[in-house]
Amino acid sequence: MSDRAHAAEPAHGEVAVAEHFEDLARQHHAVRLGMWVFLSSETLLFAALFALFAAYRAMYPAEFLAASHHNDVVIGTANTAILITSSFSVAWALHSVRHGARRVAGLSLGITVTLGAVFLCLKLVEYVDHFRHGIYPGAHYAFAELPSHGANMFFTLYYFLTGLHALHVIGGMTFLALLIRPVVRGKYGEANHVLVENGALYWHLVDLIWIFLWPLLYLVG
Amino acid sequence: MATRRLGGLSYVLAWLALLVLTAASLGAAQLPLGALAPAVALGIASVKAAIVLLVFMHLLESSVPVRVVIATALVFIVLLALGVVADVVTR
Repeated sequence: MSDRAHAAEPAHGEVAVAEHFEDLARQHHAVRLGMWVFLSSETLLFAALFALFAAYRAMYPAEFLAASHHNDVVIGTANTAILITSSFSVAWALHSVRHGARRVAGLSLGITVTLGAVFLCLKLVEYVDHFRHGIYPGAHYAFAELPSHGANMFFTLYYFLTGLHALHVIGGMTFLALLIRPVVRGKYGEANHVLVENGALYWHLVDLIWIFLWPLLYLVG
Repeated sequence: MATRRLGGLSYVLAWLALLVLTAASLGAAQLPLGALAPAVALGIASVKAAIVLLVFMHLLESSVPVRVVIATALVFIVLLALGVVADVVTR
């Protein structure tokens, strides 16, 4: 009934096709599509939080405006530029993998991970500065300058949104970092790059989410 | 299955465009746009998102099923946003 030809051991360097796929191209298509379905579910997760932010903003417009002024626009904008550049470097990494430029690909992945680390360091600087002013999430909020409930909601949502985003940054960094060694060793190429592509797609999603977070949290004023 | 392949130059151009749009967004935030400010900010963000999706994430050369998946997500995000806004605004 089914063709058992590709149930045999693959030659060294080749990729085995799973039994339920006709060929490698279809398997990669399924892997890629599965990644997009996962990414779409992630966007819905953040969309729910964005909707929550929009609802509270509609309820406390003045407090949200005042609170957003206490976010550092310089750091926020720098982080935006950092993530945009990291998207470029991970796209370049995939491009290099597909063209067989192993070392450039490994270097580009390394740059991406490093930029992610810089992003997280800047966020830590921001969080520490907020803590020093008594800006904590939820019930622990103790910001004397803006004691209103609306300001509390702004910062609670700020921590929730940026914290969840930071977790995604860490996840993406981990995945990309683990890819560096096999990429440099030439495990992936034009015929077999879908894992690197999926790592890059996840990283672009992290950038996409921040592209919308930045104006809402830093440019409202 | 991929159709056309974008060259390396398109990544560089996309990156530069994203940085320019970021600067534009920052500039627009300084202007006294009043009620239009969030719309302008989100509008620019949407253009940046489109560039990331189409160029970096290769949506321009993606198969139809992938595009259907994204379109579906976008439709439901819009529905969610409309639902929440309608709730809050009509209280």
